[in-house]
Amino acid sequence: MRLRKAFLTIGLAILFIAIGFSFSAANAIGRVPLADMPNSSLPADVDNAACLKCHANQNFNTTIGIQKKDLFDLSVDADEYNHSVHGQIGITCVGCHIGFEATSGHGLVFNSRREVTLKLNAACGECHKLQGQQQKDSVHSSALASGMLEAALCTDCHSAHAVKRLKDQNTGQLLPETRTWIPLTCEKCHSTIYEKYRNSVHGAALTDEKNPDVPTCIDCHGVHSIEDPTTSAFRLSSPQICAKCHTDPNRMDKYGISTQVLNTYVSDFHGTTVTIFSKTSPDAVTNKPVCYDCHGVHDIVKVDDPQRGLSIKTNLLKTCQKCHPNANINFPDAWLSHYIPNPQEYPIVYYINLFYTFLIPGVLLSMGALVVMDFSRMMINRFSRPQVSSAAKKPTKSSPTDEEAHHG
Amino acid sequence: MAKTKASGAPKAETFNRFTFLQRISHIVFLITFSLLGFTGLPQKFPQSPISIGIFDLLGGVENARLIHHTSAVIMLIISLVHILDITYGFFVLRKPISMIPWFNDLQHVINDVLYYIGVRKHKGYYGRYSYAEKMEYLAVIWGTAVMALTGFMMWNPITTVRLLPGEAIPAAKAAHGGEAVLAVLAIIIWHFYNVHIKTINKSMFTGHLDRHEMEHEHPAELAGIDEGKVAAPAIPAKTLRLRRVIYAPFALVVTAAFGLGIFYLVGVENTAISTMPIGETAQIFSPLPSATPRPTPTPAPFVAPSAVTWNAFAGPLFVEKCSNCHGINGAGGLNLSTYQTAIKGGSNGPDIVSKDSANSKLAQVQSAGGHPGQLSADELTYVKKWIDAGAPEK
Repeated sequence: MRLRKAFLTIGLAILFIAIGFSFSAANAIGRVPLADMPNSSLPADVDNAACLKCHANQNFNTTIGIQKKDLFDLSVDADEYNHSVHGQIGITCVGCHIGFEATSGHGLVFNSRREVTLKLNAACGECHKLQGQQQKDSVHSSALASGMLEAALCTDCHSAHAVKRLKDQNTGQLLPETRTWIPLTCEKCHSTIYEKYRNSVHGAALTDEKNPDVPTCIDCHGVHSIEDPTTSAFRLSSPQICAKCHTDPNRMDKYGISTQVLNTYVSDFHGTTVTIFSKTSPDAVTNKPVCYDCHGVHDIVKVDDPQRGLSIKTNLLKTCQKCHPNANINFPDAWLSHYIPNPQEYPIVYYINLFYTFLIPGVLLSMGALVVMDFSRMMINRFSRPQVSSAAKKPTKSSPTDEEAHHG
Repeated sequence: MAKTKASGAPKAETFNRFTFLQRISHIVFLITFSLLGFTGLPQKFPQSPISIGIFDLLGGVENARLIHHTSAVIMLIISLVHILDITYGFFVLRKPISMIPWFNDLQHVINDVLYYIGVRKHKGYYGRYSYAEKMEYLAVIWGTAVMALTGFMMWNPITTVRLLPGEAIPAAKAAHGGEAVLAVLAIIIWHFYNVHIKTINKSMFTGHLDRHEMEHEHPAELAGIDEGKVAAPAIPAKTLRLRRVIYAPFALVVTAAFGLGIFYLVGVENTAISTMPIGETAQIFSPLPSATPRPTPTPAPFVAPSAVTWNAFAGPLFVEKCSNCHGINGAGGLNLSTYQTAIKGGSNGPDIVSKDSANSKLAQVQSAGGHPGQLSADELTYVKKWIDAGAPEK
């Protein structure tokens, strides 16, 4: 009996720990465990039907703004909401619309539509704490703080009432179909950059082939904690972003792309300096090029692209001349083009390296051998045959003379 | 060649080995060499934590490069001084070139090895300079030449590739790095052992050795001196003057070539821009026209009513705009969907005061704006007209 009780206690403890772990894991992928839902602290008695009595009407709207001239749509597509990820798990309207009075206008006064979004945006972080915090550290938040009201908030990307499930609930991985949505989401505000990306080797493969290996916006910029990409720190660390995929043979081999691109960059002039800077002073300003200075930022093309591909020497020269305006047609060969020198590519460099590979140990080993022998003899003489030393070093008068011919 | 400053006792006897200029040259060379190695090797091995530590110590790689470049220029100047020193000694003073390795140096190496393994009882009898010293001196000559040449190429790549293929630049870097490793390790193994560990040979700083040291290190030369084979006879003043006149233009040409080389090395080429490369040029914030979060229905153009009555105007307008809340739901007790309930008003009394739109709550609320189901300005004007006309049903 006592044993059974003990088993039960242990079993329950394990169960609770497991549930706790699954909750914390779930929050990390954006999913919120039902137990953490704040509904309980809100007027749960307000049924969605009560809201929809007014807000289901398609023509339900009001004016907003100082001049009261902006039309503000107040209608809600109940069907759309019920099919959203929040609607499916039964989150009520007041779950997000916190602090609304049950009166006409709900006791709220806004000067603009954006103000409404800004206020309601705080509700997302109530459940999605991690993502809310990450967003607060992002470039969008700092843009907002500096007065750029258009800077993206949760609902600008996820929508308010039609929030879709983006990740697999079990693995936490993005669902395959969502990858193509990402650039289209960013396009809403960054349409010019999207155009460049869309026509790049990465964007075209994603859009036209749904290629799972190419990066979308978030693979380089991150998701909620999107960093300012114009800082020196971003610049210095950016080669690591490209390297994530470009040093991964699982991704690169099928396209015949070298995975030595980072190594070869780091061991060449530009990459050496950038690597040193990123280690000694990650915030320092340096104009030494990183990947995107040569390959393009969003408009990256294949290296054999006839117009801009860098494997075509005239294209490469144009790229060099962006920073080395006086460079001539020989100059691009000063860059090893991500090759590890070999007898076919950059043979002079290869043979010089080979020469020193033999010369350095050859010279040093010879010197080392003479040093070791000299030192050993000195030690032997000192400790075992001290009487020899004076006899050994004194030259006889006759012997050195024959060696002087040359010096004389 | 070597002069005795004998003043009595053989112990005080010293043998000159290096002139003042040579000793100064050595000090300058050893300082610049150390600085070059200290600032250069970390650039060859940028991934090493030791390298990063050195850069941190120097305040960054830019400072390391400044020290490297400055040391290189000073080393080149002292190399020029040495070249002039040596060539003057050879052409004008007709001193022998005692640093060239010869067959007897090979004999000395064999002798030494035999001595080390216990076959011979003594080392080779070195002359003015031993093979160890010759080897090191020639390594310095070779190394300085390689480093200066390849360093120039890396410092001035655009000038270099006007004459050479582009590959010369990474080739120069490969040689510069390989030679650097060789030079630094050779100094540590060979030089440090021979003059700091095996014996502490101070002659490069004091300029001379004593008899005891000479017996150890240059026995053949000492024997020669003792036999009276001293330096060459003094040169007549007239001959010396003539040789100097012939030597002067040579010295000038060498100096000019070095000067020009250093001038080009440091200041002529503008290799790269000093500004930042142009990054993303596209407009960062360029919202799509459809970026508005939700489309709002466009209000239909206002058509003036045929008659300002409930039936023809106010009734249909209230049903469309207001009855969503103020219909059978009766928000605030107000139902605007029928004429009777509209006139009756809400829980706080009538909202329509006949013939007095200014005191009608409906007109007040709508005039303030921002009410859900907001009437347009035109609609509100006609609603006020309707109330002021007594809010007629027909």
